[in-house]
Parts: sequence; C-alpha cells; structure tokens
Amino acid sequence: MAVTGLGKVRNKRKQEEVEEVEKGPFAGAVDLEMHSEDEAEDEDREGDDASDDGDVDEFPEIDAASDSDEESDEEGEEEDADDLDEEDTLDENSDADSDLHIFPKSKKVVSNITGQTKVVYPEIEPDYDSDSSTEDDPNRVGNIPMHWYDDLPHLGYNINGKRVLRPAKGDELDRFLQTVEDPNSWTTAFDKNTQMDKPLSAEELDIIRRLQAGENPDAEYDPYEPTIEWFTGKGKEEVMPLSSAPEPKRRWLPSKWEKQKIMKIVRAIRQGRIVGSKPTAADKKQQFYAIWNEPPSNQPPPLPAPKPKLPTNSESYNPPEEYLPTEEERKQWENTDFEDRERDYLPHKYPALRLVPAYDQFIKQRFNRQLDLYLAPRIQRVKLNVDPNSLLPKLPSPNSLRPFPNYKSLQFVHTKARVRCLSISPDGAWVASGDESGVISLWEVNVGREVKRWNLGSKVGAIEWCPRLDACFLVAGTEERLHFFIPPNISPAMLTTTQSILAPATLPPTTQSSIKWISTSGAAEDGPILTIELPSASGLSRQLTWHRKGDYLASVSSSETQGSVWMHQISRRHSQAPFKKIKGAVQMVLFHPTKPHFFVATQRYVRLYNLAEQKLLKTLMPGIKWISSMDVHPSGDHIIVGGYDRKLCWFDLELSEKPYKVIRYHSRAIRSLHFHPTYPLFASSSDDGSIQIFHARVYSDLMTDPLIVPLKILRGHDVQEGLGVLQIKWVNKQPWLVSAGADGNVSLWCS
Amino acid sequence: MGRLKQKGKAGAAKTYITRSSAVKKLQCSLADFRRLCILKGIFPREPRHKKRANKGSTAPTSFYYAKDIAYLAHEPVLNKLREHKAFAKKISRALGRGEWSTAKNLEDNKPVYRLDHIIKERYPSFIDAVRDIDDALCMIHLFASLPSNPRVSPALIENCARLTAEWQLYVMHTRSLRNVFLSIKGVYYQAEIMDQNVTWLVPYQFPQNIPSDVDVRVMLTFLELYQTLLGFVFFKLYTDASLVYPPPLDSGRDESGAGVGAFNLRPVNPATGGPTSDTPKVSSKEVRQTIKSITAESSTMPPNDVDIDHIDRTDSFRDAAEEEFLPTLLSLSSLPKPSSTNILAPYTFWLSRESSRSIFEFLIRSFGGRIGWPVSSGGGSPFTEDDETITHVIIDRPAAKGDTAQEQERRRRRKYVQPQWVVDCINAGKILLEDLYAQGKTLPPHLSPFGERDGAYDPTIGLANVENSLIQVDDAELSEDSQEVEDVEMGSELEGDVKSMAALAVAAADDPEALRAAELAAEAAGVDFGTFEKEVQKKQKQQKHKGDAVVNGGGEEDMNKILMSKRKRQLYERMKYGEKKRAAEIEKDRRRKARAS
Repeated sequence: MAVTGLGKVRNKRKQEEVEEVEKGPFAGAVDLEMHSEDEAEDEDREGDDASDDGDVDEFPEIDAASDSDEESDEEGEEEDADDLDEEDTLDENSDADSDLHIFPKSKKVVSNITGQTKVVYPEIEPDYDSDSSTEDDPNRVGNIPMHWYDDLPHLGYNINGKRVLRPAKGDELDRFLQTVEDPNSWTTAFDKNTQMDKPLSAEELDIIRRLQAGENPDAEYDPYEPTIEWFTGKGKEEVMPLSSAPEPKRRWLPSKWEKQKIMKIVRAIRQGRIVGSKPTAADKKQQFYAIWNEPPSNQPPPLPAPKPKLPTNSESYNPPEEYLPTEEERKQWENTDFEDRERDYLPHKYPALRLVPAYDQFIKQRFNRQLDLYLAPRIQRVKLNVDPNSLLPKLPSPNSLRPFPNYKSLQFVHTKARVRCLSISPDGAWVASGDESGVISLWEVNVGREVKRWNLGSKVGAIEWCPRLDACFLVAGTEERLHFFIPPNISPAMLTTTQSILAPATLPPTTQSSIKWISTSGAAEDGPILTIELPSASGLSRQLTWHRKGDYLASVSSSETQGSVWMHQISRRHSQAPFKKIKGAVQMVLFHPTKPHFFVATQRYVRLYNLAEQKLLKTLMPGIKWISSMDVHPSGDHIIVGGYDRKLCWFDLELSEKPYKVIRYHSRAIRSLHFHPTYPLFASSSDDGSIQIFHARVYSDLMTDPLIVPLKILRGHDVQEGLGVLQIKWVNKQPWLVSAGADGNVSLWCS
Repeated sequence: MGRLKQKGKAGAAKTYITRSSAVKKLQCSLADFRRLCILKGIFPREPRHKKRANKGSTAPTSFYYAKDIAYLAHEPVLNKLREHKAFAKKISRALGRGEWSTAKNLEDNKPVYRLDHIIKERYPSFIDAVRDIDDALCMIHLFASLPSNPRVSPALIENCARLTAEWQLYVMHTRSLRNVFLSIKGVYYQAEIMDQNVTWLVPYQFPQNIPSDVDVRVMLTFLELYQTLLGFVFFKLYTDASLVYPPPLDSGRDESGAGVGAFNLRPVNPATGGPTSDTPKVSSKEVRQTIKSITAESSTMPPNDVDIDHIDRTDSFRDAAEEEFLPTLLSLSSLPKPSSTNILAPYTFWLSRESSRSIFEFLIRSFGGRIGWPVSSGGGSPFTEDDETITHVIIDRPAAKGDTAQEQERRRRRKYVQPQWVVDCINAGKILLEDLYAQGKTLPPHLSPFGERDGAYDPTIGLANVENSLIQVDDAELSEDSQEVEDVEMGSELEGDVKSMAALAVAAADDPEALRAAELAAEAAGVDFGTFEKEVQKKQKQQKHKGDAVVNGGGEEDMNKILMSKRKRQLYERMKYGEKKRAAEIEKDRRRKARAS
C-alpha cells in the first residue's frame, strides 16, 4: 500500500508540476489562496477525522494527510472550479494593479479642502464577500509561546476550545524531496504560528533583498525627497510672537563693555603699542639707499684684496703662433700637478670666435679665487724694485788693482805622485816642490827647469826655505825627520855661511832633549846636510815655519799627541816642545812677523801666545769646522783662517776675537792660504781645484776697515781623489803665485 | 727692578688667535664662522714667529688677529645666526609634530640678517667699493648664466641676471667701457668708473654645471655679499647719473628675450629727486660749457638713436631749461668723454645669428653704434636686416658660395667683418681696416689690451724692429770705425750695405743658411766676396769681444757676490734667476716666431 502510495504521490507530483507550469506567473498568489483553502479543508476534515476516529493521534502525519491533501486537491479543484475562477479573475485584477498589494487599489485625489493630494480607497461594499469572518481562519491559537506545545500533538486551542492539531510534517526525505521538486521552496520560511513552511511573499523577498544590500527596507522610502519649506519664503513668515515677554534692552542698545574694550585697543593702536603684523620675511626685499651719503669715518679702510692678474696675450682665443705650446710642453703641463702649474690654462688657437667652447675650469677657478679671498693669509710685501746689480757691493774694478796673477805661465810636472808642498826661495828665483813619493825637485821660477832632485824615499809633508838672506838652505819634513838641504849653484860665500850654520865646526853643547841632530857634512851635494830626528811615532811633519830671523824653526807633526809641535833652534842645535799640554789637535803654527808672538791653530780655535812671557794672549774663535790653514798679514795685525767647511775668516787682532768677515766662495774645503809679503794680495786654494786671488788692503788708521776685493779665480788644476790645489805660495818680490796640485802639477801664475 | 715678564701675556701670543680658539670664543659653528669671515672680510694672518703666536707649537694652524675676532663677537650678524639656529630647532620641532600653522608662523617671522652695515664698514667711501667690485661682477655674471638647481634657486639667478643687466646698462649709458679681450676663458671687459679700472670676466654663453669639488655654500655666501654690495653701488651710480634705480623692467620685452633692452633707463624727476638736492651747486659758467658740450655731442649722434642716447638728450634739454637747479659735478666730470668712446657712432651693425648677441650688443652700444639682430637672437631689434642704414655685418661663418642678387647687392654696400674686428677696433681706439677681418679670412692674432708685464716678450715687435735696431747699431759702429779703418774707400752707402749685410750674417751667427742668404744679398748689392768676407770676420771678432767683455763682467759680478751677506746674496741670486728665466722665455718666444715666419 505504501509503495503504491508512493508511486501515486510521484505521479501526482508530476501532474502538479505540469499544472504549476501551466499556472505561470500567478502561481504564488493562487497558492496562497489555495493553501488557505486547503488548510481550512484539512482542518475541517481533520477535525472531522479526529471527531470521527482517534487513529489520527497515532498516525498524524503520514501519507494519510498527503493522500487526503491530494484527494482534496483534486476534489477541491474539481468542486470549486467556479470559486477558483472567480477568485482568479479577482486576483488577476488586483495583481495587475499592484502585484504586492492585496488591498483594493487606491486613488490619488486632490482634496477640495486642503488642496493637497490624498489617497482615496474605494468604498468597501458591505456584501457577503466583504466579511472575512466566513473564510476559514488558518490558525487562531493566538500569540502564545509555541514551545508550550512542543511535546504535544496539537498547537493550541481554537476559539471553541478545541485542539488545533499540528499540521503534518513530513520526514526528512519528504522535506528533501519537497526542496528538490518545489522550485519555490527556497522562498519559503517556517511559520511558527502555523508550524509549517510558508512561501514568502514578493514583498517580503524584496525586504530581504534590501536588508542584504544594506538599503532601507521600506521600498517607499525616498532619501532624496525635496524639502518642503513650511515657515520660510514669501507669505509663510510666522508673524505671531512665540513669547509675550517684553523685548530686552540689549537687543537695541550697543554694549558699553564691548565699546570700552574696543576703545582700549584703538588707543593702543593710536599710541603705537599695537603694531599691525609685519610683512613676512619672504616678502621682504632688499631696499637700497644712499649708503655713502654721510661722510665716511676717518678710520682707514681695510686693505683691499689683491686683484687677480690681468690676462696676457697667451690667453687670447687667437694668440700669435709663438705662444702655442709644443707637444712636449703640453705633455709636461698635463703631467704637472694642478698647484705646480705656472699658469692654469694651456694656450689654444681657435680659427673663429664661434668655435670657442665653454671653459671647463671657469667655476673651479672662481671658487679658488674665493678660497684665496677668505682662507689665504695675506702679507703686505714691499716689492723690491731694484736693479739686482745695485745690491752688489761697490768695489774697485780688478783692472785698477793690477798687478795680480792672471794666467798660468808655466807648469812643472811631478810624474809620480801628488805634490804636497812647495817653497820659494827668499830671493824669488827658485822653487822647491816635494811630492808624496819622496822626491824634492828644485827648479827655476823663470823657466821651470829642474836643477836638482833629491829622493828621500818617504812622503814629503812640508818644505820651507830659510828666510835668511845671507844663507841659503831649505828644510823638508818627512816621516819623523826634518832634512836640511843646500841647493846647488850658490855663491861660495853663501855656501860657506850656510855650511857654518848647519854644520858648524864646533858643535854647541848638547842639551837634554829627545831630539837628535845629525850632521852629515860629507855628502852635502847629494843628501841632507843636517837631519833632525823627531821622536818616534810623531808621524809626518805636516808643517814647517821659520821665524823671520831664520834661527828658529817650528814644526808640526801629524800625530795628535802632545809632542806634535817642536821648536828648533838652529844656532844652538836644540829642540824643545813649547807646550806641555795642548787642547785639541794642532793644525798649524805661525810666528808673528814682528812680535815674539806665536799662533797655534787647533781644529777649532786659534790661540796667540807670547813666547817671551810664556802666556796665552788671545783665543780667536772662527767658528769653523775644522781649521785647515792660516796665515798672518805681513803687518801682523790681521790673520786669515781657512777651514774644511769652505769658510774663510778674516780676523782683526785689534778688534775682536770674532771674525771681522766670514766669506764662503769655494765649493770645497780650503787647503791653503797665503798673504803676499809685499803686495796687498792674498790667495786661497781649495779642493775644488781653483785658486782665488784677493786684493787685501790694510789701512794704517784704525778707523778704516780693511778692503778685500776678489780679483781673479785661477783654474787649471785637476781634482784627483777629491783633492785639488794643496799648497800655494807667492813669489817674494813678484806678483806671481806658485801652486801645487794633487794632480802632480806645480804651476806658476803670472800677471 | 721692573716687573717680571710672563710668557704668553704680551706680543704675538696676544695679537694672534688660532682658528679653533676663535670658533670657541665666538661660540658658533665652523660654518657660521666661515660665513662671518666671508661677510666681514676677515682673513688669516701670518705671524712673523709662529712659535711665539702658538704657545711654542709649530704645528700648521691658521691665525687670526685677536682684535678681528673681538670685533666679530659684537657683530649683529652673529646674533642673527644664533637666532637662526634657534629658529631652525623650533621649526623642525613644529614640523615633526605636524603643527603646520605654528611652522608657518615661525617661517613668516624667520630671522633675516642685513648686510648694510657691513658694506658701510668694509667700504667707508664709495671709491673703496668701486675698487673692489671686480670679483662681485665676475660672480654675478657667472651665476646669471648658470642653470638653476636645488641649491641655486631660480630667484637668485634671476636677481643676478637683473644685476648684470643693470651694470651693462650703466656702462653703456656712461660710455665707460675701455677694453675688451676675447680669451679662452671668457670675455674680459674693462671699464673706467670713477677713475677706477674695473675688470670683469664673463663666460661664453654655454650651460655650465657646478663641479662636485666646489663648495656651493661658500660661493653662495660670497654671492649674498656681492649682491648687496652691487645693489648699493648701482644705486649710487644710477643716482649720480640722475637715473632711477632700479630701472623698471618691461616684462613684455623681457618675455621676448630682449635682454638688456627689457629695462628702461628713466631719469629721476628733479622735483622728487632727493639725492640731487644736497649735492653742491656749480657755477653757471660751468653749466653753460657743459650744455654746449652736450648739445654738440647730441648733434653728432645719429638721428634715430636708441633709448639710452635719447635719455641723454632729454637730460641735457631739461638741464638747459632749468639752469639754476642743474646739479652734480659728477655728471659734469663724466660728460666730456674721450673721442674713442664714440668710435662706432657713425656705423650701423647687423649681427648675424651665430655671433653672441649679449657680447656684441653691449660692445657696440657702449661705443655709440647701432645694432640690429635677427629674431632668432631675441626680440627687440631696432631694425630689420633689409635696413638701408646698415654699414657693417658682423658675421662669423665662412662665406657661402651661391649668393642671390639681393645678397650680392648687400655685399656691395655693406662690409662683412668677423667679430674680432669690433674688439680690435675698440682696443685700438680707432677704426681698423676691414680687409684683414673680412668674412672667411684667417684672422690676425688677437692680442691682450692689458699688455704683458714689463720686459716680457712683445709679439708686435717683429723681425722688422730687430733689423731696425741692428742698423742703428751699425751706424754707431760706422762712426767709430771711420776714424781707424783706412781701407774704406768705397761709397758710403755701399759700405753701409755691406755692413748691414754682414751684421745680419753675424746676427744669425751659427746659422749657415742665414749666412748664405746674406752672401747672396751682398752679391745682389754689388759687393765682391772678399770685402764681404772681411766684414763678416770683423763683425764676428767684435761680437766675440763683446761676449768676452760680458763674460768677464759676469765673472767680476760673481766675485763681488762673495763679499755680500748671505741674505743679500740670496736675494740677488733670486732676482738674477728670475731675470734669467724671463730672458729665456723671451728668447724662446722669439725663436719660435722666427721659426714660424
């Protein structure tokens, strides 16, 4: 039965579908009506059923209801065909007017009284149809909490006190099938009052849609309604007062307090206490005025900045050809540093003005100028606009100071070794020169012919001719020995005197001394006539000097011990060391030309001793490192000191212990100095191979300074192993000079 | 016994102050100190004994006069800088908090310093200021040509451009331009203002970019000072010339690129003119003379003159009308101009499009000429290219081949010259021949009108002068020789010829080609070879003697040097070194020229 029932149901549903399709757009409205009818019928019938048989309680909701529904549907449809038709037509009309409104259609009419439009509904005719009470009401349980009846088969009670049964509710499968088969099921909602699904009306759906869209749920609501002016506009003014209170004074009298406050501000403005807002900083423009109209202060203006140099021809865009740099000049310019460049641009020639490009250093150079202006210290220098020649001291011309040696007249050559020393005979006719191989040559000044040669076998350090005019002999200093020679070809008278001096027949009594005097009278022609043996380890005797009378001879040895200075007296054949103790190594000694004074030059100082009183007179401080040579002016009041540091000091003995003049002109150490005995000349020789001749005039009055005039530089010696001209000597009565060089040459310089 | 002297209490230790201690004393930043130094013109000094000035230290430092710094401490600008520091803090705080109205209020009341008192202080008299505007003019001309960038604002550039235009207008108006030099760096101008030579350099018109190793802040600080200085100087100059300062700008003409033509020089209304009233009056005789000279001058001017000259004339007419009120000795002194300032007055120029208008408009109008230019060079040209009065065309391009009949006609009537002609004419002070400068020709060298330093090589003294001097020398020798030489039997002029030939040969001493050339010349003059040879030998001997003498003399000098003190000797040697170097340079240039020609 159930299965056939089900099959029936399906068939019926198909039919229903077909019917519904046929029903079309009016389905919803028709459904409402139909449902209400059905329910009423159901109610009735169920009521009947309930009254008739109690089975319903037990089986309230199964197919019976559906069956009855279907049956009733069929029956209803067939029975109430007329009613339906009628209702349909009525509904059609109403739906056509407004598909949402169930009420009869309203009309908008302009009211005769107010003049406004108003809605007028049609009159309800009090006939049968108008009474809705006859329609079967679906459910009149009222607004009660429905959960009271949750467990009960009924819903509540109707007006007659009868139970209203719960409508049949299909199982889940039915509900599912309903949702599948009924296309409108998604628009239905459960109604609590009736306890069944009810389709939602179009109005309700519209409300839901509006709520979903966040709109106002009322479709009628117009948010942009035109405003209606009720009280404004012409003719709408309210003329009646709202209050009957009298008008206050403040409505028409100006306020006293306000006036007082304003007057306070006005007064402040008048008095200038309040100033209007100033023009803003941005708007303010520099105003210029006659700033220099009032007289300037008498303060001196600050020194103006030096102006840059004006451009010269080479900066022209089209300079003469000769200004253009050559390729190597350009390269050199590019390679030098920016600061070292002599000028900051490179001359360039452009054939036309339109081809001249922008100068890329323009801003940089402007900037540098500004840096100069505020960063560079400025010094005001007096520009020396003098002829440089005017700076030179005014000295007499050398030509007016002739004679002085000018040129090399002859040269005598020592082939073997460098010539250390030379000496010229007092009559100025002979020169004896000794070299380092131990050869002493005696030659004639005038022609340079060698007349005699002695070979001593060891280095000759010094040679000195005895200044005596009645005798003629010379002394040569070698290692630890002094040899006395008599030159050949001298007059017999002179020879005898000489021999009597050097090798007297009766020897003076020997004295206590460590020095031996050995006479070898036999071999006077070939060897030394007299030899003095200095103490051993005294080394090479570097210098010999005679007292002017020719009796005393002083010798300096190269050893730095105390016994380096010896004083020899020929007449007594006696030697003695004048100094017990000397500070420093003795470089040179000299006899004063007129007084019994003795000069001793150590490496740094020159000391002057009085030999008669045996005391130190003076210490001269030349400030030279180290003293190499020294000579005394023939007057005895001036000495010159030369040093290895190229300096030459002129001392005035009357004046000071400091030099009167220090001059430096040689490029190497000074080796030798010599004053001319008669002419106002002196010369210096140096390791640079040159000889400098000076004119040195000493005045007898004390107020006039000595006059020193450089006269001539003599060049002609070669520098060998760092040594140049080792010794120079003036020829006695002539303005001639003889020089001995390290190159083995002895030269004679004549005027 | 007097008071004991304490170290560091007097002398150099007190006179000088190092930079860092100066900054510390002024309590400002180094940047502010630099700004102050620039504005006030304070520069470091070199103490005579660094050790004494710096507490015994010889570390390299820059020293300032302590008094300079003491004055700086009272400088109003320093206070303003401090206020500005506070302002910067306030405004940055306001901006950080987003308080825009406060920030705007602060910005409106920003502390601004003025430099008037500094100008007055640095330049007590007007002459001082005029003497020192060289650098200022260079700078504003440079900045007027710069493109604007975030650090250089357009307003600044505009102001600089305005100042340059005002300056050029003034120079044109007073006809005070004297020299122009086209160099590779730019154009040098020299004007004479109040008997002071003012020289400024204007770069060629190309876009320039500020290199990265240049500190723009320093330049801007200088520019700030220079703008103020020039404003005051121009005010005074304009007022003295009875002109309104600043000259009103015609914006319409400025838009069309009229340059200096956009400004109107307007005479001061004497009724309102304040500054003229207090100047001393001059005697009526002087006035009459002035009027005479003015009228004479204005009558010589071309009839349709541009506004500058127009103003001149109206000035003079009005002056004539109201003799009693005629003011200003200054204007009197500026009126009688040397004739060379008017050298271009009779001519009318047309500037072709490739020449720079800014340069040549200024030059030609400064010297009284009229000038027109095509529209491509900017608006405001007083006449068009087909004007009949045009006498010269300044053209810088090579001559084109195909000329239309009209162009040929124009070429016949007008002179086509290259731009250098104008500049050379101005520098020479007279109109030069146009042929050398004709279009497309190789130009003669452009020399500096400022000259070289004394004794430098002068390119204008060519070989011709050398020959002249040689001949003079010969004459002198001839008079000497005539007494002793007995074998001179020939005609004197022939003798002279031989001698000059020989001299030439000797002058070119070791140059065999020159000798050969001299020989040929002698032969052409009809001198036989023997005589020529003799002469040459004699000359050579003479020259050798001369050289010997020189050598001897040199040796003598060197020996006298021995007796000089060390200081003097070093000075002497430095001078000699410079002399020798200069001589070598001259010799080098001369040799190069000889080789080139």
